[in-house]
Amino acid sequence: MEILEKISYFVIPTILTLVALVILFGKKSYFNSFLTGAKNGIKSAVSLLPTMCALIVAVSMFTASGACRIISDFLSPAFDFIGIPKEIFPLILTRPISGSASLATYGEILSTYGPDSFPSLCASVILASTDTFIYIICVYFSMTKITKTRHAMPVALFVSVFSIFLSCILCRLFF
Amino acid sequence: MLGKCFSIICIISFVFGIFNGDMKLLGDSILQGATKSVNIIISIIGFMALWNGVMEVLRDCGFISKLSRLLRPVLKHIFPRAFKSGEGCEEITACVSAGVLGLSNATTPLALSAIDKMNKGRNSNKATNDMITLCILGCACFNLVPTTVISMRLSQGASITYEIIVPVWICSLACMLIGIILCKLIGKINGDT
Repeated sequence: MEILEKISYFVIPTILTLVALVILFGKKSYFNSFLTGAKNGIKSAVSLLPTMCALIVAVSMFTASGACRIISDFLSPAFDFIGIPKEIFPLILTRPISGSASLATYGEILSTYGPDSFPSLCASVILASTDTFIYIICVYFSMTKITKTRHAMPVALFVSVFSIFLSCILCRLFF
Repeated sequence: MLGKCFSIICIISFVFGIFNGDMKLLGDSILQGATKSVNIIISIIGFMALWNGVMEVLRDCGFISKLSRLLRPVLKHIFPRAFKSGEGCEEITACVSAGVLGLSNATTPLALSAIDKMNKGRNSNKATNDMITLCILGCACFNLVPTTVISMRLSQGASITYEIIVPVWICSLACMLIGIILCKLIGKINGDT
């Protein structure tokens, strides 16, 4: 496991150096492609802001009103029983539906409980391992005339529930 | 959809706020929430710019198409029908390689055109097994570099940052494999459309 951890430090610097070599020795001017890509990255980050603004306001209202605490207290025996920290409940709710909403709840979890706390670590692995499955299935089939998605929803639901459990188990093992 | 979620959460919070009697806290939370959303975006903007730039270079120099070629022999077994007919197989390989590199902006248009091509000449409104498998890969794909998570953790002053990559690798790989296996099993039992 320690070797894997060592490798994890290498991933980002290695990719960046690879790109640096391409820019230095490439025939085309690849730095311009870098700049175009970076510009698009900024655009897509900023385009998240309107949705994020509304949703973070909603999430922090939900926390401040005490509704979040009452609901998660109500659910906590069940969550304790299956080994999932109750603090990540808002993330579990928003993850399947919307990327910006789950990012908003994730930011809220990080700042409320501290980024190195167990709930935040579980939330990090969940957020990175699965995507917004309800949204994806709706979008992927929206262009075509396909209305019967057959086993797409059940399998996606199973996989995302599985990812929640596995994330919590892995975080217990690793940290 | 999101609008409804927003309204429902706000109304519930208002009602709970009245019962708990702390309206000042609720009012403060609204103003703080709006500020916090800007802070979160600012904390990820730099890394998103860098990473999108890096990926643009890798795409331009043909690295991603090479990666697609590497993945082809594996994907041939996962999407048998698409690779037999050749319809959409280019898009599928590009989509999966983009997914592995965490380019979620690039995966959606590629997946859409892959599904569109796979649907050509069909008159059914039912999804094929290959389309469903592609959907599942879109939902749970092996994630090589969880950039957003790392940059948000760094901006919040976490001491565990890159180490998160290892459990993410294990979890995302396991989810992907289970998704594919389930798709294959159910596809075999139910047949194809």
